[in-house]
Amino acid sequence: MSRASALRLPTWAWSLLGLATVAAAWTLVTNLGWVTETYLPSPQRLGGELLTLLERGYRGAPLHEHIGISLWRTLSGFAVGALLGVPLGLFTGHNRTAGALVAPLVAFLRPIPPIAFIPMAVLYFGLGETGKVVLIAFTAFNYAQLNAHAGAAGVPESYLRAARSMGLSERQIFWRVIVPAAVPQIFTGLKVAMALSWAVVVAAELVGAQRGIGFMISDAAQLFRIPVVFIGIACIGVIGLLLNAALNALQRYLVHWERHA
Amino acid sequence: MQQALKQIDSTPAAKAAPVPPRIEFRAVSKRYGSAGKADSVLAIDGLQLSIAPGEIVSVLGPTGCGKSSALNLIAGFETPSSGAVLVDSRPVTGPGLDRAVVFQQPALFPWLRVIDNVTLGLKCRGAKPADYLDRAHQLLARVGLAHAARRYPYQLSGGMRQRVQIARALLGQPDILLMDEPFGALDYQTRLAMQELLLDLWSEFRPTVLFITHDVGEAVFVADRVVVLGRPGRVKHEVTVPAPKPRDRSFLTKPLFVELQAQLLDAVQREARLGLVSQVPNA
Ligand SMILES: Nc1ncnc2c1ncn2[C@@H]1O[C@H](COP(=O)(O)OP(=O)(O)OP(=O)(O)O)[C@@H](O)[C@H]1O
Ligand SMILES: [Mg+2]
Repeated sequence: MSRASALRLPTWAWSLLGLATVAAAWTLVTNLGWVTETYLPSPQRLGGELLTLLERGYRGAPLHEHIGISLWRTLSGFAVGALLGVPLGLFTGHNRTAGALVAPLVAFLRPIPPIAFIPMAVLYFGLGETGKVVLIAFTAFNYAQLNAHAGAAGVPESYLRAARSMGLSERQIFWRVIVPAAVPQIFTGLKVAMALSWAVVVAAELVGAQRGIGFMISDAAQLFRIPVVFIGIACIGVIGLLLNAALNALQRYLVHWERHA
Repeated sequence: MQQALKQIDSTPAAKAAPVPPRIEFRAVSKRYGSAGKADSVLAIDGLQLSIAPGEIVSVLGPTGCGKSSALNLIAGFETPSSGAVLVDSRPVTGPGLDRAVVFQQPALFPWLRVIDNVTLGLKCRGAKPADYLDRAHQLLARVGLAHAARRYPYQLSGGMRQRVQIARALLGQPDILLMDEPFGALDYQTRLAMQELLLDLWSEFRPTVLFITHDVGEAVFVADRVVVLGRPGRVKHEVTVPAPKPRDRSFLTKPLFVELQAQLLDAVQREARLGLVSQVPNA
């Protein structure tokens, strides 16, 4: 009986238990000296290093500035990519000719990891901000376009037929049926685009950046300041989660009907 | 008197019927894909059928015999490969406001409230809310959904959704109501209530109705005339249902209903078996 009730813990309790287990194991193996500090710093060491980072920053810039510049690059690139990709995807998904026109190009570009374009971005735009933002915009554009296209192309025939027999014009059908029907799929694309943009910014900052989370990680690794590397990685994880959560919240608000579909 | 007219009208030879048909299929064939290609399908083959204004015609037939294809031709969603599809003696060139469709598949827009779903067409045609909102609410009340006007489709049961679709279809005051298995997904009780509702609304609005169904009892209950299609789509059997409308569920136990139901069940099963036999050599 007691076993049955123990298994009926709420799901968040299980999630917490999972986290606590990892944390406990980490504390244990580092403090018992099973793993050398060089490879895996202990929690208290990381905490201390975090305080130092918050107080003194890293390489002449405070921690929040490293985070801020990475976020700015990501969000501005993401915004440009999404603002170009979503409308184009809706158009190519709706218009068969336009769809056929871009299909081979999109199919070719999609499987290429955006990181492969870093050398070209540096060549075309130099080591400054433009190259990084363009690379991220390109990444976000691909996934925004792809999913907006799929959303617009996959609108159920019965929606279109209902709209036509109610006398909607082609223009009204696009704005009042195709666009809202594609919104759930657009969000799927934006979430992938956001995750990849965040990954790409870190990679882009490994090359020629003086600030940013990616720069901090690679620079600290070269100087063998392993705790800083770990803190950088943790920042990337937490911010990635927050970005995704923000898009999820927006999606829940805008696409309220999907939760019940 | 009207009954007699209809019977004359329904025989293919009667061309000179005093009332011109509202809907007419003249030797209509419909082929999907180009002939000769392996994946081309002859869905309708020489369909001949006319429907008088205000008449309710049920269409039965085995799956894949072209019922939906026939409806889509009148709705203007598809074009015939040969022959002519006429509404009020004019060839159908596309969807039109004189014909409203009730779909079996989800066709309410999930992002719009019930009232906005119902009025979207009028709104998009530039009508002023003052001119249609009252009527829309009256129609919703008429189908028993006065309380649900502000809800979203996902907050409704299947039967309620179909009632919204019917209200949406009727708001534009169409001459013709095209219904493709509108109650197919509903349970028996709900379905019966919907059939009665349809007949009630018919007495009020008097549209011409093409009603596709798989349910033989339903076909008899709602219709003035029932046609059975064989594969590929052409009329194989036809009966009139000489009972006044509207009808209520007591009609279900009348000898006339029981007799017609049995007769049509035989006809449908014959067509279904023929379909299976003719499929064997192809398979
Ligand atoms: N858009 C289409 N493209 C190709 N073939 C089609 C298309 N629509 C229907 N068909 C084919 O035409 C035939 C008739 O289909 P239709 O949907 O009209 O049948 P139905 O009588 O409505 O069947 P059911 O009772 O299952 O709804 C079927 O063989 C079907 O596969
Ligand atoms: Mg069908």
